[in-house]
Amino acid sequence: MSTEPDATVLDANAIAGLLAEVFAGAEMTSASRACQSCGQRRAIGEHRLYRGAGLVLRCPACNDIAMIMVEGDGWREVRTAGFWSLRVPGPAAA
Amino acid sequence: MPSFSRGFHGRPRRDVDPSRVPPGQYVEDDFPVLSAGPTPRANLAEWSFAVQGAVDEAVSWTWEELNALPQETVTVDIHCVTKWSKLGTTWTGVSIDTLLENVTTEAEYVSVWADGGYTTNVPLEDLRDGKAWVAHTFDGEPLAPAHGGPARLLVPHLYFWKSAKWVRGLTLTIDDEPGFWEQAGYHNYGDPWREQRYWSD
Amino acid sequence: MAAAAPARIVWKMATVVELVEETAHARTLVLDVPDWPGHVAGQHLDVRLTADDGYQAERSYSVASPPEDDRVALTIERIDDGEVSPYLAGELEVGDRFEVRGPIGGHFTWRAAEGGPILLVAGGSGLVPLMAMLRHRARQGSHADARLLVSARALDALLYREELMRLDDARDGLSITYTLTRDRPERWTGYARRVDAEMLEAVGPAVANMPRVFVCGPTPFVESVADHLVALGHDAAAIHTERFGPTGG
Repeated sequence: MSTEPDATVLDANAIAGLLAEVFAGAEMTSASRACQSCGQRRAIGEHRLYRGAGLVLRCPACNDIAMIMVEGDGWREVRTAGFWSLRVPGPAAA
Repeated sequence: MPSFSRGFHGRPRRDVDPSRVPPGQYVEDDFPVLSAGPTPRANLAEWSFAVQGAVDEAVSWTWEELNALPQETVTVDIHCVTKWSKLGTTWTGVSIDTLLENVTTEAEYVSVWADGGYTTNVPLEDLRDGKAWVAHTFDGEPLAPAHGGPARLLVPHLYFWKSAKWVRGLTLTIDDEPGFWEQAGYHNYGDPWREQRYWSD
Repeated sequence: MAAAAPARIVWKMATVVELVEETAHARTLVLDVPDWPGHVAGQHLDVRLTADDGYQAERSYSVASPPEDDRVALTIERIDDGEVSPYLAGELEVGDRFEVRGPIGGHFTWRAAEGGPILLVAGGSGLVPLMAMLRHRARQGSHADARLLVSARALDALLYREELMRLDDARDGLSITYTLTRDRPERWTGYARRVDAEMLEAVGPAVANMPRVFVCGPTPFVESVADHLVALGHDAAAIHTERFGPTGG
């Protein structure tokens, strides 16, 4: 299915602060995700951001859903799809 | 406690009849574009609208056939779950009653499907008796692709995510089948007057 | 990649300490942000304004200043019927305060220690985060191969014009190319069209040198440039994009 160019679409960099809040302070735009549909691994920051009733992130290679976020009064709910890779500090080897 | 920014006012909001504004909503003069994905590019030569599923006989219309059906122009208020309401919007399209005229079914639910993969669900009763249309014209102009053109479902008595953009058909179902936003955590029914935004409401 | 300390996601009150008129439509705000942890070039601040009726508006602005500066600078382009930018790039005065959160971001960042070659492609106000990268590069004395391609409507719309000329003159491995898409001075010999594949190829670095590419500006600009880069053979994974929306402000 072909699509119209959309001048308003953003990428996940625009919600980097929100993602950091949701993921307990982690910097998420440089996390990567292997898409469940096309297998491509891309940075979350490259994923396209759509604002519908909630927020949607889509794979930059195949457009498949990477994340849906819904925000209510005093809560946020996140659903992720695909394999998200996030590297965080841990104890060094002895 | 928010800290005020001296001199910042935001956009002016005008006064409206509060009885037209559901709880938690504010009135918007613009028409915000919201979408769960890219805008599909329409091909009217290949476009069709279908009523299928738990029906005696599936039926469909081409773009020409849809436009040859009796048309209605209605002015309605619309309410988005993201809290904006737009009052007095005028649409032209085909009433769902017209599309269901020769359809025999025992189904009680409808799965609405659209180009781009979007889906939503509505009880069949909520699409009958002058409550819903397949709308192709907004404010006298062909519906813009960003707003759902060539045609979208229009169900103004429910939150506007139920008015599926780029609609292509109704699948009548025996069981209720939650659609895209319903699966994502929004309310299964979505009555703005009872503020049914989320599944937990 | 380390997880950011939670303090970065807390809203704080920033104070405007200086205003710099960059062009007729853009202004730099220099801020004092309490407990500023330092930042990486390319990161941004989330800004939140609250009207006295409680209404809030939130936007993100790239940090224009390099990590080497003590104070944090944002360059704001005034969008005519915008809700926030006419206030920040107009009404706002020295001494005013507003809430900020950050620094935020990690994907669209560059540290001089990472080296080059790098290609920076800016459309309009997309130049802001890329300028932070170039200022950082200069302060670090880096000679990493860096190429900047800036697209602007006209010379008087070009941000940081004089500073770009100084950076270009430094002969430290940086080259800057301009394209003016709407108006140009009479004797202009530079590019005068939208960025295309031929221009990107001419600016370089060559695909074989595997540059990291940073593209920033209005969404249509970023999409078009990224498509051209991929068509030229650049690895999609080496292209970092940041979209500013329809108008880019």
